[in-house]
Amino acid sequence: MGLWAIAIVATLLVAADHIDAPGAMGTTADIADFYAFEPTVGSDNTVFAVDLQSNVLPDLAYGTFDENVLTEINIDTDDDLVEDLVIQAIPRAGRMYFFGPVAPSTTGTNGTIMVDAPLGSVAISGATATVETTANGVSLFAGPRQDAFYFDFFQFNAVIGGMAPEGFKPAGDPNSTADDDTTAVDTFDGSNTMSIVIEIPNSLLGETSAVNVLGIPVYKTWITTNIKQ
Amino acid sequence: MKVFTIKNMLALCALLVFAACSDDDDQMMVMGNPSCTDGIMNGDETGVDCGGSCTPCETAITPPDFSGTYAQADFMGRPGINTVLSADGATKDMHNMAIPSEMGASFQAAFEARLEQYHDVYAGLLGADPTAVNFEPNILGDILNGPDKDGFTDNPVSATVLTTVLASDVLEVAPNLPTTYFNGGSGAPNYEGAIGLTGRTPQDDVIDISLILLFGGGDGVRFSGQDTDMDGMADLPRLTSDGVALTATISTTFPYLGAPE
Repeated sequence: MGLWAIAIVATLLVAADHIDAPGAMGTTADIADFYAFEPTVGSDNTVFAVDLQSNVLPDLAYGTFDENVLTEINIDTDDDLVEDLVIQAIPRAGRMYFFGPVAPSTTGTNGTIMVDAPLGSVAISGATATVETTANGVSLFAGPRQDAFYFDFFQFNAVIGGMAPEGFKPAGDPNSTADDDTTAVDTFDGSNTMSIVIEIPNSLLGETSAVNVLGIPVYKTWITTNIKQ
Repeated sequence: MKVFTIKNMLALCALLVFAACSDDDDQMMVMGNPSCTDGIMNGDETGVDCGGSCTPCETAITPPDFSGTYAQADFMGRPGINTVLSADGATKDMHNMAIPSEMGASFQAAFEARLEQYHDVYAGLLGADPTAVNFEPNILGDILNGPDKDGFTDNPVSATVLTTVLASDVLEVAPNLPTTYFNGGSGAPNYEGAIGLTGRTPQDDVIDISLILLFGGGDGVRFSGQDTDMDGMADLPRLTSDGVALTATISTTFPYLGAPE
């Protein structure tokens, strides 16, 4: 990666949420990505996967969950865009502790750990995944994983910077690792992130009256990282 | 073999009145170790009657400290919203400190301006008047309109409507339905099998979907590198796909994301 590219990245970096804003960029609390999905067709579970930090560029925080950073999955079940349930995760001494799903003591940008609603904990993994399943059927994971996000991020910066009259590059041979400058390249190929993954029975989240624009009932979800004051 | 001290042996000899006192460790083990019940810390014990050759001491487990107040530092709902539609670092920081119920009022107008600004960039590159190249209602509106109308007639998804939806930055996930960030199915005009807004899997090409909704217009291919004058060269920019697909390893089983590289 050339110096020009790093300079562009440092000023413009985008991506799903990777290194997105000056205030959070490159910190241990920097959210990289968020997935929420049904694991298999017909499953009664929902999976939430939160990626923190990234090693896509040098000098970014990566590799250790910060004990001062609380990760929170917020879930709105009545369509007012205010969290009705939270699932919290915070590391202590090599384990990731989970709380919820539970109504938070306060909504908004400040909160406390819901210690009266412990969910379980799991040893923070190394390269091999250690998973824990609680008595009520919740699976827990925390540790380094491949960053599944894919995006020709450098070309995006050229596009929005008005430096690419032809727009994005065409798809190249997906098995080619050569950067011949004429085909698209996944900037995030080969990078890792610190993941927190939870698979939870929908029965523990309950019914939802929120709907998407197509009228389908949905949980409206978002994630935050929160720093101890 | 356990190692007993002389003091231990004497204590044992004194207590084990029915046992012959010997230096046979194996016999000692069979007989038990009475110093483990003498109410004092002796021998190789690490606590009173525990540790060493006695049963392990119960260690006082200090529960982790979860006290204190935690303040929001970063935020994410849908992929790319803040990063693509917030025009500058200050706006991105504001968005990360915001809450969804207030985001519509705070960010919709700025997001709409940013969306038009992207179109102005390409108007400039194409040598066109920026005021003449604007967002066109997208295929979401085409799908909502049904197959009786083309992608453009009465399409409800204006720049204002789209940025209003996107400004409230939450990721919707439908319980008990297959997850698809967005899939246009068979495409225009019938969009058979179209589904979307039911969540996001690692496989979903969220960037291409976002590009189609932002730059694809009513047919989804408005700026797709077309050769409009048939001279073999693209005359329109390629803005509806970034040209890359999933490269990371993913798994069908928990935790779904591949081992680090």
